[in-house]
Amino acid sequence: MLTGKLDRGGEMIRTVLVANRGEIACRILRACSEAGLTSVAVYADNDAGSMFTELATIAVPLEGDTIAETYLNQEQILAIAGAHNVDAIHPGFGFLSERADFAQAVTDAGINWIGPSPQAIEMMGDKMTARLTMKAAGVPVIPGEEIASEDEETMISDIVEASQRVGYPLLLKASSGGGGKGMRKVEDPADLIDAIKGARREAIAAFGDGRVYVERLLTGSKHVEIQILADKHGRTVHLGERECSVQRRHQKVFEESPCPVMTEGLRSRMGEAAVMAAEAVDYVGAGTVEFLLASNGEFFFLEMNTRIQVEHPVTEMVTGVDLVREQLRIAAGEPMSCGELMLRGHSIEVRLYAEDASNNFLPAIGPLVVFRPPSGPGIRLDTGVREGDMVTPNYDPMLAKLIVWAPSREEALQRMRRALDEFVVLGTTTNLRFLRELCDQRDVISGRTDTMLIERVWPNGWQPDFPESTLNAALIVAAVSESAGLNKTKLMQTESIDGLVSPFQTLNRRYP
Amino acid sequence: MHHEFKFGGEKYEITIAKDGQTWLLGDYTASVCDDGRVLVISPDGSTKFAHSAKVGDTWWIHYAGHTFCLEKTEPGSQDNDSDQGMTAPMPGKILEVKVKDGQSVEAGELLLVMEAMKMEHRIVAPKSGKISKISFSVGDQVQQGDTLVEMAD
Repeated sequence: MLTGKLDRGGEMIRTVLVANRGEIACRILRACSEAGLTSVAVYADNDAGSMFTELATIAVPLEGDTIAETYLNQEQILAIAGAHNVDAIHPGFGFLSERADFAQAVTDAGINWIGPSPQAIEMMGDKMTARLTMKAAGVPVIPGEEIASEDEETMISDIVEASQRVGYPLLLKASSGGGGKGMRKVEDPADLIDAIKGARREAIAAFGDGRVYVERLLTGSKHVEIQILADKHGRTVHLGERECSVQRRHQKVFEESPCPVMTEGLRSRMGEAAVMAAEAVDYVGAGTVEFLLASNGEFFFLEMNTRIQVEHPVTEMVTGVDLVREQLRIAAGEPMSCGELMLRGHSIEVRLYAEDASNNFLPAIGPLVVFRPPSGPGIRLDTGVREGDMVTPNYDPMLAKLIVWAPSREEALQRMRRALDEFVVLGTTTNLRFLRELCDQRDVISGRTDTMLIERVWPNGWQPDFPESTLNAALIVAAVSESAGLNKTKLMQTESIDGLVSPFQTLNRRYP
Repeated sequence: MHHEFKFGGEKYEITIAKDGQTWLLGDYTASVCDDGRVLVISPDGSTKFAHSAKVGDTWWIHYAGHTFCLEKTEPGSQDNDSDQGMTAPMPGKILEVKVKDGQSVEAGELLLVMEAMKMEHRIVAPKSGKISKISFSVGDQVQQGDTLVEMAD
């Protein structure tokens, strides 16, 4: 923070509470540390000892067992904020980040909310309201229909009726949805009713709101989103686009900036629409306006995410703007520090998930017995875990994000392949190899990525592709490791070096 | 030394010989580095460093950008996982049970739906047969590896 501006409207920020966990908590806590701010982390019992708790000035345990009792517990988090003289709360993404009632409660408690106003969150958070707001602001939306009914029976009959006007294939979306939860693709009218029930049930479980609406599924389109920043001095700018078309189960796995098919003209039209969308709700802070980009260059508003996004690093790499630092600056009432948009080179991010890509991307758990990220020029790792940690079924299976930057897209892909080859994770199944093979796909290399890419390339699911000689070498390594007693040596060495209990011992006991 | 590993449903038997600090198998040679990695020299002369870690009976091997899970089995042991049941892939909650005890099902038929990590997972019949036991009902919490449904041929 610039010390000369601390008196502006009593918005001075000295202590920031991060109401999140894992990778994004680490990212924000590090930004606080760099800005010279005191930081407070809150953590559930099953996160004790997690990396993010170590990056905070103070780490305060949350009471309770379930997510509702801990990371979603507004009263408890506010009480901790009060007890530690917190001036600002950063919600990260997920959890309470898009909860207007929490933003309001934080503001009412006299604490600075690092994000947009509760009204903006509410208008954009309810996907149906957002559609209506965007239509009114003149931003193009996907052909579809809002569904007002809430009880299952009326909803089913309303959607069945609407589906005849919208047409197939269609998408059912939870009005409170996000991250692919409460979303169903329907290609055959015969599957519609089951899909409505499933989407509604998942939406109730995940968001406590079962409202579902219908949109035409635009196949062959790209998911392109615009990063925006708005400060409290009336300035709203866009920071170019990210393309995040490559998705599995409606969750992004491969993101890049710039979008390979972007032109100057299209970027400025989409950027303008995004700024209009943000201004329509008097937006403040960092936000993302997501669009579907059809192959003919037409684009449609999908939704606005009123928070920092998972894939924000690719924008940081090509614009040179530290988005989290800007969030802190804007919340403190300072003008944003970035000047005119300058894009440089190409950046790609892949998400490292603990999941079995060869078994329908089923989440995996286990110990991270070995966790060796790659290094070298142009490589950034945003992680929430390190070697020795346990991956548990309690939270989202995203472990880390691997980001590369290079002067051109071709070189960025080459760098990503090298980085993924170097990345070693043992003890928990991850999608590393899937990501590596993704980088070799013709449509990824040419930039012809769309939201159906994974299903198109691997219609029957993905299976690892490896030469016989590689398996042979792996078998030899296993035989040598077994013969040389490598698992035992590791334990003994750790014990004799520091005399402390090795994390691997615990792991061995829990995984006999 | 003789070892047996299971990978992808197949058994692999490996016999390696030791010569000083080096292990030999055919045209491959391997040696253990001070940091615990294994240096492999391939028949074509290329060298690569591999990482290995044992969790339970499984060796996790990273070699040339690939990760393999090789299960160590005792030489001559019988394959005893001809388990007819379907197990929970991870801890979670049963949302729906689609079949009844004694019902005949086709391979691929939906048996039950469970929720784990806020996502729904569908448990389908791996083969055709008759349901002989359903161990849980809607709302039950299940642990990873719990047998959810048993089938008879």
